Amino acid sequence: MPKLGLNIDKYLRTQVLPTVWCPGCGNGNIVEGLATAFSRMEVDPTRVVVVGGIGCSGRTPFYVQTNAMHTTHGRALAYATGLKMAQPDLTVVVTAGDGDALAIGGNHFIHAARRNIDLTVLLYNNGIYGMTGGQRGPTTPFGSRTTTSLAGNIERTFDTVEIAMAAGATYVARTTTFDMQEIPLRIQEAMAHPGFAVVEILTQCPTYYGSLNQLGDASDMLIWQRDLTDGVPVKMLNREELLGPLRTGVFRNEKVTEFTQAYSDLCSQVGGNYGHN
Amino acid sequence: MNPEPNKNNQKLVMGNEAVAMGAIAAGCDFFAGYPITPATEILEEMSKMLPPRGGVFLQMEDELSAIAAVIGAAWGGSISMTATSGPGFSLMQENLGYASITQTPCVVVDCQRGGPSTGLPKLASQGDVMQARFGSHGDRPTLVITASSVNDCYESTVFAFKMSQKHRMPVILLIDGVIGHIREPVELPPAPPPRKATFPKIDADSPRFGDAPFVPFGHGPVTVVTGLAHQSNGLAETQKGSHTEQMIRTTIENICRDPEIIDSWALKYQLDDADVAIVAYGITARSAREAADLLRADGIKAGLLDLKILWPFPNEILRELAGKVAAIIVPELNLGQMVLPLKAAVGGRVVVHSLNRADGTLLTPNDIAEFAAKQLNSIEERTHA
Amino acid sequence: MATIERDQVRIRLAGRGSQGIMLGGTILAEAAVIDGLMVAEIQEFGPEARLGAAKADLIISKGQIAFPVVHQADFLLCLSRPAYVRYSTTLSMNGLMIAEETLREEMGDSFRVTYIPFRAAALELGKELYSNIIGLGALAALSNAVTKESLQNAVRARVETETLTENLAALDIGYELGYKQVPQQIGSRWANAAR
Repeated sequence: MPKLGLNIDKYLRTQVLPTVWCPGCGNGNIVEGLATAFSRMEVDPTRVVVVGGIGCSGRTPFYVQTNAMHTTHGRALAYATGLKMAQPDLTVVVTAGDGDALAIGGNHFIHAARRNIDLTVLLYNNGIYGMTGGQRGPTTPFGSRTTTSLAGNIERTFDTVEIAMAAGATYVARTTTFDMQEIPLRIQEAMAHPGFAVVEILTQCPTYYGSLNQLGDASDMLIWQRDLTDGVPVKMLNREELLGPLRTGVFRNEKVTEFTQAYSDLCSQVGGNYGHN
Repeated sequence: MNPEPNKNNQKLVMGNEAVAMGAIAAGCDFFAGYPITPATEILEEMSKMLPPRGGVFLQMEDELSAIAAVIGAAWGGSISMTATSGPGFSLMQENLGYASITQTPCVVVDCQRGGPSTGLPKLASQGDVMQARFGSHGDRPTLVITASSVNDCYESTVFAFKMSQKHRMPVILLIDGVIGHIREPVELPPAPPPRKATFPKIDADSPRFGDAPFVPFGHGPVTVVTGLAHQSNGLAETQKGSHTEQMIRTTIENICRDPEIIDSWALKYQLDDADVAIVAYGITARSAREAADLLRADGIKAGLLDLKILWPFPNEILRELAGKVAAIIVPELNLGQMVLPLKAAVGGRVVVHSLNRADGTLLTPNDIAEFAAKQLNSIEERTHA
Repeated sequence: MATIERDQVRIRLAGRGSQGIMLGGTILAEAAVIDGLMVAEIQEFGPEARLGAAKADLIISKGQIAFPVVHQADFLLCLSRPAYVRYSTTLSMNGLMIAEETLREEMGDSFRVTYIPFRAAALELGKELYSNIIGLGALAALSNAVTKESLQNAVRARVETETLTENLAALDIGYELGYKQVPQQIGSRWANAAR
């Protein structure tokens, strides 16, 4: 287990536990993965800011013992962009849900990706609006039941990976809360990546998505996630196969000029000395 | 009027340019914005001035992200600002509330245009004065400063930054399309060299909010910032918002007691012996000043109270004025916004007449003077009847 | 309502986009600054400024300028037909319109309008582009709003070095054309306005 030999408690804000999340929610797995990644990388908590939006995922910053910025709905990436530009040597991790990052904040998601600014985005995809009680979201699978699509969702589903890649993210990966070992690995890779890094993490919402779609309890949903994602490593697949919505692994890992670096170069060109205080 | 001959070292500067120059003078090292008429020149000027100083200029994807980036940058230790006009200002309201509840120092410039909606992009308006106060949901402390000349644009911007840091809050500078685009000769000091903001040292268990000083991320111990109601240590309190209510009350009290605010609240022009007072602000205050002269030339003792800070509203000054004059005229380029708190402040002790225009046309000195004369005549007629 | 002598001149420069109206406004405003006068200038911006009707408004004054916007112009320089049509109604009661000669045939003569062949003079100098500076010269001659020396200095500060000689010549031509037209009543009316 990821905890072996590591004391991740140092990176958890234990005084505010328990979390607001429902029993069986997958978000705790992600927090554990994040704390594990921090622990392995031995980050200085004062040099890391975890920026969250609104919704279940947005509460993550409260639970990790680093700087925390819990912002407004959809805007976490815009806050993070300003923060990173103001102090480029801070490590900035953004936690956002599918509704937060792809519906209300979809514009910021594609533009942050386009800039290739050095942010790590953990995109919690539970296919539903959990905090407000189970409404349809942009990643709700076609046909699924939610409290606003009781007869089945007739809207098509966003593919986070495809959007991130099309918008220009330079590190793109997908994993699930079933793949507990993989989560910290992907987060570590994303944090080490100099550029806009997106890790989509499928996370179960047994309270709403599970019960409305008769998928059983949390452990049943983990099995369901395992079966949805076939476990074939991405690099073994061709382009057509990659287009399926639920492949896991690393889809892109490229070095392209990062935005704070580009900005620093621009300042130098006109005689300015940017950042790095 | 005291004509003062210009010195030849004066330069022609546009109002919007003066805002940008004032920001740089105040130490602004971060600007994020989105193009919008009639505020765009501020964005363009900042894009030219910041990179050579090592400051950050970001053109964002919309106004929502512009204000969000500005707040994020403040928490990154920058002295930050954005500028917009009505439609963009509307989009910024939610995050302005976030800046208030998180006590984030930053400056937002709204170069007003005719509304509602796309309205009259190029034309003058004072339609956002209530939005500047009440636009964001919930109660919050507000400090809204105006400008009625190019020189004002510079000085009010410097003042806005100073107050935003002193009171840990977003400060709004309200100008309009005419003030933003007019060019007048001004003599401004050269831009100071770039400097990094410094922050006080605090301990891990020091309070972060309420009366505590502003210490951004990376400049001290780990800090939690949230738009939820929170305690002074930053941790959310979702069952009772007493700390947040107290913070808002205290900030409002602090602003209202601040001698720098009290001194800047309003300018008085020929009010000592006035029978009629015109209360105006921004571009309309310039027409009103000339209107007061016109009325005096006609034998009517008129004066002007030029409001330099709209919010908090200078209740005391208005109460005092109400005891001295027979009538108050409130010309505004909207359908009657600042007249509402004014009426509340004077409490019926004096007749208040509202003169409004919202078609993008300015109220001229003659418009105001004729209106005032007419109202006074009708008061006299009633008194003699 | 009483009127107050303000010792100020309200000027509107109008023409087509690309006729150098905005630059003309800037030069005139800077000349006023050099003369130690108060000035408020506002130029047309937004889509209209690009779609053809360019405009620059100035108030030049000995004293502080309270109301800074030109609603009624004392001097209206019109270089194009649309500008004439659009702004002729904004001429003040005793104002003078200074218009491009080629508009005379269509618009007709009036005691409020003086026509000057800016376009022809500019073409003679080499480029139609010089119309704005010739116009400024004529306007300055007729309005006496700024001194010629200041106007020359403002031109020096604002035009490209390569075309400076031609622009200064254009200014001279403008003055000459303007002086030729000076109707006595206008000359006396504004003689002391801004000196």
